[in-house]
Amino acid sequence: MESKVFRIALAGNPNCGKTTIFNRLTGTRQHVGNYPGVTVERKTGVCRIGDFRAEIIDLPGIYSLSSSSPEEKVAFQELLNDDIDLILNVIDAGNAQRNMYLTTQLTELDIPMLLAFNMIDDAEKQGLVFDFGKLEQFFGAPIVKTIGSSGVGLEELKSAICAIRDNPSPQRPVKPKYGPKTDEAIRALTAGIAALNLPETRRIPARYFAIKVLEDDPAICSRPGFEPFCREAGEWRRQIAARNGINSRTLMADVRYGVIAGACREAITISSDRRRQLSDVIDKYVTNRFLGVPIFLLMMYLVFEFTFTLGQFPMDYLEMFFGWLGESVTAIWPAGHGEFLRRLIVEGIIGGVGGVLVFLPNILFLFLAIAILEGTGYMARAAFVMDGFMHMFGLHGKSFIPMLIGFGCSVPAVMATRTIDNESDRRTTIMVVPFISCGARLPIYSMLIPAFFALKYQALVMWILYLIGLVVALGCALALKSTLFKGEGEVFVMELPPYRLPTLRSILILMWEKTSLYLQKAGTLILLASIILFVINTFPEKSDYSKDYDAAIEQVQNSSLAEAEKTMAVSTLEAERKGEALEYSIAGRIGKGLETVMKPIGFDWRVSSALIGAFAAKELFVAQLGILYSVGDSEAAEGTLQRALRNSYTPLQGFCIMLFCLLTVPCVATMAVVRRESNSWKFMFGQILLFTVIAYTITLIVFQTGSLLNIGTSISAPEETAVVESAGIGAAR
Amino acid sequence: MSNNVISSSLEDYLEAIAEIIETKGHAHTKDIAERLQVKMPSVTNALQALSVRGLINYQSHSPVVLTSRGAEMAAVIRHRHSVLKSFFSGLLKLEEKEADETACKIEHVIGETVLSRLVVLIEAIAGREDCASLRDFLETTMPRVKTEVAEGELANVIPLNELPIGQSAVVVQVDENLRGVKKFADLGLVPGTLLQVEGHAPFGDLLRIKVMGSSLSLRSRDAAFICVKLT
Repeated sequence: MESKVFRIALAGNPNCGKTTIFNRLTGTRQHVGNYPGVTVERKTGVCRIGDFRAEIIDLPGIYSLSSSSPEEKVAFQELLNDDIDLILNVIDAGNAQRNMYLTTQLTELDIPMLLAFNMIDDAEKQGLVFDFGKLEQFFGAPIVKTIGSSGVGLEELKSAICAIRDNPSPQRPVKPKYGPKTDEAIRALTAGIAALNLPETRRIPARYFAIKVLEDDPAICSRPGFEPFCREAGEWRRQIAARNGINSRTLMADVRYGVIAGACREAITISSDRRRQLSDVIDKYVTNRFLGVPIFLLMMYLVFEFTFTLGQFPMDYLEMFFGWLGESVTAIWPAGHGEFLRRLIVEGIIGGVGGVLVFLPNILFLFLAIAILEGTGYMARAAFVMDGFMHMFGLHGKSFIPMLIGFGCSVPAVMATRTIDNESDRRTTIMVVPFISCGARLPIYSMLIPAFFALKYQALVMWILYLIGLVVALGCALALKSTLFKGEGEVFVMELPPYRLPTLRSILILMWEKTSLYLQKAGTLILLASIILFVINTFPEKSDYSKDYDAAIEQVQNSSLAEAEKTMAVSTLEAERKGEALEYSIAGRIGKGLETVMKPIGFDWRVSSALIGAFAAKELFVAQLGILYSVGDSEAAEGTLQRALRNSYTPLQGFCIMLFCLLTVPCVATMAVVRRESNSWKFMFGQILLFTVIAYTITLIVFQTGSLLNIGTSISAPEETAVVESAGIGAAR
Repeated sequence: MSNNVISSSLEDYLEAIAEIIETKGHAHTKDIAERLQVKMPSVTNALQALSVRGLINYQSHSPVVLTSRGAEMAAVIRHRHSVLKSFFSGLLKLEEKEADETACKIEHVIGETVLSRLVVLIEAIAGREDCASLRDFLETTMPRVKTEVAEGELANVIPLNELPIGQSAVVVQVDENLRGVKKFADLGLVPGTLLQVEGHAPFGDLLRIKVMGSSLSLRSRDAAFICVKLT
């Protein structure tokens, strides 16, 4: 029926319960995207109100409509560009004075407005009594009392929206008066700007721009045509500041808070002095100078355990399922037909989908934990407690959580950076977090360390590797923060919201949202990359091998060897064939092509080829190396491979291989989420470049220094050569 | 706006040019920049503005010359300055430097009538015989008034980072040089706001304050820019 969708912009301070109201109104009919160029989320949803459909745009939580943060910038852009019919301003009733600061700015946009005094129950418990009649008059907007968590007032909210929609000329908000001199300045600037007849003043009144110019808002002042007014505004500012005895730079904030204080004195009274006592009591312990850190570490331990230990069970099942699926397809596939298609489906697609889904339990559990931490308000405390430490490396207190999760897996770790509000801190954290040694690198260490190092040094080497990862991550963060991601004039002020019990609904919606985002955006990219890597590792297919393996295997089968020896010999032959095929493939060729480049860091073509294969997932490095050393993939093969490695590489080379694996580009899945979270291809390729350069440089330094000083440069363990030879590998030669 | 009215900063420039010409014989852009402690481009801008208004003759690379109108205007401004300065130093007994600075601030906003009457007042108190006892009174009382008031005020006004935990205070002034001063203002840290320090972070320099019903954390070194008065 209706020709046009009714568009509602949901605006409010951070922690005012805006998202709860949004979830109440839209349910799961939400669409989450990103604003171009920044990592700020853009959330929209559809809601049926009465007999019409409304589109609700959930603006990011902001304190002000200036342009001091990306959130504020996109919020303003949204209000400027989109045809907004109504602003629904959610106000934390318990903190109305501060929340109404944004409201005064919203009134200046001259868009019909509806105010929701949210968490009214909390405010009443604090002893606040509101005169809503006076407040409605003051802002020129109807007010509805709501309790987002229980849904009280939602129906009233909807009918208030209906009333505004059905009114052909809805009430416009009242523009506050800021005092004689200030109003005079606003009038003069408005007249000048209106005379320009700019396209942007068609929707948003010139007066709004005049006020922004008077505030010296950089984003407005840099608009074409505004320059002369900015100079004029400078003069006005000086006069107003001199007259009122206030700072010229914060002039509008001063007069706005002045106006609000006046309104509050008239419309809000405090009947008793009971203020969020429980919250303060909890904080006495949680942010305590002595208990704060231990409590934080305990919480982090729980989050880590929750994400990875609990997440391990479904992960195992998922892996089993995909393994079974691959085998089943192979089993029912008609033998000898479309061998390529079978391998593409089993190894490329099923393997790829499995590779995507395998992270799902971790992400689900992590975001459940994060939703609880954020919903209760602990996250801000964690940042408060850890800030002193993280600040030494130019990072935010909230960067600690992604760093910690990074020890488990880089994929959820990168996604966890969402909790960092500051754009440059967030980008820095995303950039360095994959340096942290993740769980998938562990199989590499546990294969290579025992191969090259005596038992008493093994733990030390492992510890050194983890430490290097951490040091490089923090060092890079420091370097990036003081160069590339230097925050422009940004400051650290963070609100610590009162503790609240999060609703199950909001936690579930958040989990659902993150998971579906991961599957849609990152998942498709991971799948695509997995297929490409499959092709690289498989093609071109080798048709004539150095010997006839089928015949050789048949010969073994028909020989008089014992059953166990037969299996052993067959698997060795199969592995040899695979090795030849991999050597012939694109990956093998690239590995060989890179030989001259990789030689200075002590790598031969086998290691390079294995690294290319390992880009699909770090733990594949071991399997790839196994194939290239013609070792089957049975349990017993581990020892064989270790012996083969020991006889081919020096301990220094072994260490360098691990070092390179630690520092190089993590895996396609990580890159895919980085692309998604940073919202930029440039950022992702920049990260690949950074990781490659750093891994190469550090490994080069270590290898060359080690070679020069003759540390670990001799191939060891000659007493085991006999065993190796009997196994029929002879890689030592 | 008529051509006769110029902004206070331009008045400062005109005054400076006149004084430099008087002491050195000629005024170069560099001298002006040094004297007013501003950057060269600002001086160039100001000189262009003054030149447009016909108050100076200005060509780059040659000294600045005052036009007759400029000289006249400079004389008026300097007269105002000296009157005000003598009021502050002669009657209010302020130190030379403070008198000078205060005069600088006031000279741009004070009208001619007020100034003329002030001259009469100063001359009367300084010269008339029936004011002798008043002169003595000012001589002895004024210096004491200043110190007493200042000490009383200063004891109560401290930077926010020195405010003890649990103590309530009102923001008196926020230094404009505070990085991100607008952001702090947006969050309610403007003169007149009541606040309370809730505590410090375990390590590092984070401070936690309660402002208008919400807890904010900020760095101590930023808090040092915010002056509060104990309540």
